[in-house]
Amino acid sequence: MNKLIPIFFLFLLSGQQQQEKIIARQGRVAFFSYTSVENIKAENNQVLSIIDLSNDEIAVSMLMNAFVFEKALMREHFNESYVESDIYPKATFEGKIIDFDPAQDGEQTRMVKGTFSMHGVSKELEIKTKIEKVQGKYILSGTFEAFVKDYDIKVPPLLAGNIAKTISVDFRFEYQPYES
Amino acid sequence: MKAKELLLYLFLACGTNSMFAQDLLGILDEEQQAIPQYAEASFKFSRIAIGHSIETRKKGILDIFVANRFWNTPADRTQSFVADRLSTRIALEYGISDRFMMGFGGTTWDGLFDGFLKYKLIRQQKGNKGSPFTVTLFQNASYFSEAVSNPAVEDDLSDRLSFTSQLLIAKKLSPNFSLQISPTFIRRGMSYSEADPQNHFAIGFGGRYKLGGHVSFVSEYYYTTNPIESFDTYGPFALGVNWEIGDVMLQFMLTNAVNMVEDAFIAQTRNNFNFRNPNLNFGFNATYIIHFKRGLKNK
Repeated sequence: MNKLIPIFFLFLLSGQQQQEKIIARQGRVAFFSYTSVENIKAENNQVLSIIDLSNDEIAVSMLMNAFVFEKALMREHFNESYVESDIYPKATFEGKIIDFDPAQDGEQTRMVKGTFSMHGVSKELEIKTKIEKVQGKYILSGTFEAFVKDYDIKVPPLLAGNIAKTISVDFRFEYQPYES
Repeated sequence: MKAKELLLYLFLACGTNSMFAQDLLGILDEEQQAIPQYAEASFKFSRIAIGHSIETRKKGILDIFVANRFWNTPADRTQSFVADRLSTRIALEYGISDRFMMGFGGTTWDGLFDGFLKYKLIRQQKGNKGSPFTVTLFQNASYFSEAVSNPAVEDDLSDRLSFTSQLLIAKKLSPNFSLQISPTFIRRGMSYSEADPQNHFAIGFGGRYKLGGHVSFVSEYYYTTNPIESFDTYGPFALGVNWEIGDVMLQFMLTNAVNMVEDAFIAQTRNNFNFRNPNLNFGFNATYIIHFKRGLKNK
């Protein structure tokens, strides 16, 4: 009997986690690089994100080649020469929303802490995120800065002036209940 | 004992927690499967070195393409600066849709004016699904504008036109390495000798190896199965380096082909590839790319 308790306990725990997932299938991630030479902007409207409301865990996954640029050739350069999306097709984020209260209506600002992986490099990030709950639907949005250098992305010296050292990243995810 | 057990449960619970975090990304992975992924940029440019690659320009992109060949005459001493001879082809090439492009150009040395259409028929997909190759159809027509001094040679409009049809088949074998095979049919207009066939079959081989993010090494060779009989011809061969910097693309190459239009260099290259003048040509192509279509709706 004593041995059954923990198994039962685990079962309960995992059973509880099965439900209450929400997913965003058309999340938007955009990034900007502003320099005096050139402004580069790219947008990805097919970013996936999922939140497990039972334990506040969040995951984000995006395909690098789904970023749309102002110029078609920039997209090719981005995938082929910078992020090498043949080798590293995805960027992912995995983390936890700190002090998240799923029940609270309206707006709340929380820190999301986790690991962001891109171009084969994983970084610990803490992102200030605005969480809105409108009519039972959750919307997450925010901005953070990423350093090109951190992700082992090589910029040729000739183009160093065209690409900013810090890239500002915008995101917005609208969630729906997830049915597996 | 109790405390230890409790710790164990806690540990296990934590374990399952992290397992579920994995699962979240796992769920997203499953969601992503549905989108087909195509192999992009098997080659960076619409040419490998001398011949066409499977790549077409994306919609709304105009290439201002200037190709040059420099070579020396066999004379021991000349008074030319750097190179004795120069041929330039200036062309405008435009992407009508993401898979269809056209271009027009003129060459100074051989007086050929040419136009081409290129359509990407099948796209290589990543993974095991879909087509393992990219297939592009290519058709060009060229007009020979030079005067013909021999009155025995017919030089009506129909004689001055040549046509090249190509089936370009390529595979991006790895992120760095792409190979292409190009079966070619050439209908040559001008007939200088009865012995020469006017229809030629040829096959081209080309490859690209990426040396770095922006630099790749390319090579290309064409073999003609039924070459011209009245003078010696050789298969055009090229070794080159392609370098792209933003909106500019530069190609440097060594080749034995003087001409830059398909029917001319595939079937009518008179030099072999070696270092004796005038056989070796230094080629320099520069392309400036202008985007007429903006990708993002709201700036």
